[in-house]
Amino acid sequence: MICCKECIDLLYDYFEGSLDQDTTKSLEEHFEDCPPCIAFLNTYKSTTLLCRDTLNQIEIPDEVRHTLQSFLKEHKKEQEKK
Amino acid sequence: MSFTQQKEDKEIEEALVRDLQAGDLDAYDKIATLYQKKIYALSFNLMRNQMDAQDVTQEVLLTLFRKINTFQGKSAFSSWVYRITLNASYMKLRSKKKEPNVSIDELLPSFNGAGFQQEKIQDWSGSTESLLFTNETREVIKKAVDLLPEKEKVVFLLRDVECLSTEKVSEILDLTVPAVKSRLHRARLFLRKKLSGYFEEYNSQKGEA
Repeated sequence: MICCKECIDLLYDYFEGSLDQDTTKSLEEHFEDCPPCIAFLNTYKSTTLLCRDTLNQIEIPDEVRHTLQSFLKEHKKEQEKK
Repeated sequence: MSFTQQKEDKEIEEALVRDLQAGDLDAYDKIATLYQKKIYALSFNLMRNQMDAQDVTQEVLLTLFRKINTFQGKSAFSSWVYRITLNASYMKLRSKKKEPNVSIDELLPSFNGAGFQQEKIQDWSGSTESLLFTNETREVIKKAVDLLPEKEKVVFLLRDVECLSTEKVSEILDLTVPAVKSRLHRARLFLRKKLSGYFEEYNSQKGEA
């Protein structure tokens, strides 16, 4: 029987689906008897998803886009002169 | 993205790099268009400042052009771009006043002698939906990520936010795969703990109301 500490050490690989069958089985047995670890697993997953949803929506603001465009245009002009 | 699609993208990219190495300015435009959002997003997430992220993006685009002939194709072109972006962002961050880092160890789970969890764990994962799109929640999440120590933060941003593979992240950062995994796990534990404080408080307030 694995303990909570081992369970949390294994969460990463469990979440990735990269644990072997036996370990997955003992981990799931632990979950059955341990609501705190289920809560931990659920919030561990949620944390990853929430952070991703919040941070991967970064768009280049219009003013930055314009600055970059004119910067690139200017750079291209300089290079063409060479 | 399908495997064939990925393969095609890789071939297009390699052709663009070859053209740029041969001095083709249109290839440069295309590469800049392909990468500027990725460069901007990563540097913005590292620095959380629009002006700084703009400066870094410009600098990186310029470096790509100037140094394209030093790119030898030993790693993927995108890994090279990410590395230049990280270096430029770190240079910028170092030139500014640095806030003291929090120790990540204090926020990792604690266990008693028998290996049981010592703190009470609340499951707030069901209550995040309604909260996710409020500005307050987004600010809490951003602040928590900002507090991550540099080593863990960069792994977290590349792997969990940019969704790159563990292997790719290990190539970019020149770390072993187990090191990437261990840093990412620590980052997630740290963030989970930080977010728990916020969502548990929200749940208890909702309970009282």
